Amino acid sequence: MSIACPVNLDRDKLRSEVRATYAKVAENPHGEFHFHRGPEYAARLLGYDLAELRSLPQTATAPFAGVGNPYMMDALPSGGTVVDIGSGAGMDCLLAARRVGPTGSVVGIDMTDAMLARARSGAVEANLPQVRFEKADMTGLPLDSGSVDVVVSNGVINLAPEKEAVFNELFRIVKPGGRLQFADIIVGTELSEEVRSNIDLWTG
Amino acid sequence: MIEALQQIGFQDVRACHFFNSFAGTTKEGVARKYGVQGANFIAYKAA
Repeated sequence: MSIACPVNLDRDKLRSEVRATYAKVAENPHGEFHFHRGPEYAARLLGYDLAELRSLPQTATAPFAGVGNPYMMDALPSGGTVVDIGSGAGMDCLLAARRVGPTGSVVGIDMTDAMLARARSGAVEANLPQVRFEKADMTGLPLDSGSVDVVVSNGVINLAPEKEAVFNELFRIVKPGGRLQFADIIVGTELSEEVRSNIDLWTG
Repeated sequence: MIEALQQIGFQDVRACHFFNSFAGTTKEGVARKYGVQGANFIAYKAA
């Protein structure tokens, strides 16, 4: 179950709050937040391989704040094109880059400048030139239609108030026969209008 | 989530794994109250 956007939610304010929250995470990933960050969390609660994460630059792994593990599902195709929606500091992109190999390509999409700076630095440090990062909103991706083999994402689509627009955009960029494999939060109960209008809960 | 993806045109949409992503955070109680957890999803575009 996803969270439907209440009619009276200020979507611009929500975007601004999301950007501000994750800019803080990028600047100080060890700060006080109401969600976990980092590779130890990813390994302990989400099933990532801690040794593999420790082989990546900390600039990419420390701010990781995903909620699941897209790589538990199908293997990424060698030589394929992968897009990470809401790539943050780039940890999942670097993992994807290793999986698709040097003939593949990985594009990380994020709207937070501080995260993009970390991600680009991490890709250089990891020597993975098949990764690039683009600043964009999830509802307007700078990618050709039918150009992507696999879309991954981790804990980000729930932050978008216009989920239908996001899913339409993902459908546009995925090749026929391609797929989404992503992690996100689900809510097990029907939420009141008051709860759904609480931006603090959305940004977490 | 699954219904929304199906309505767009994705096929074989499934939730595959579930995660207690908020365990040990300050929002753990809120997450438990509303049944909030992490989940993996997979969805295919027809060939």
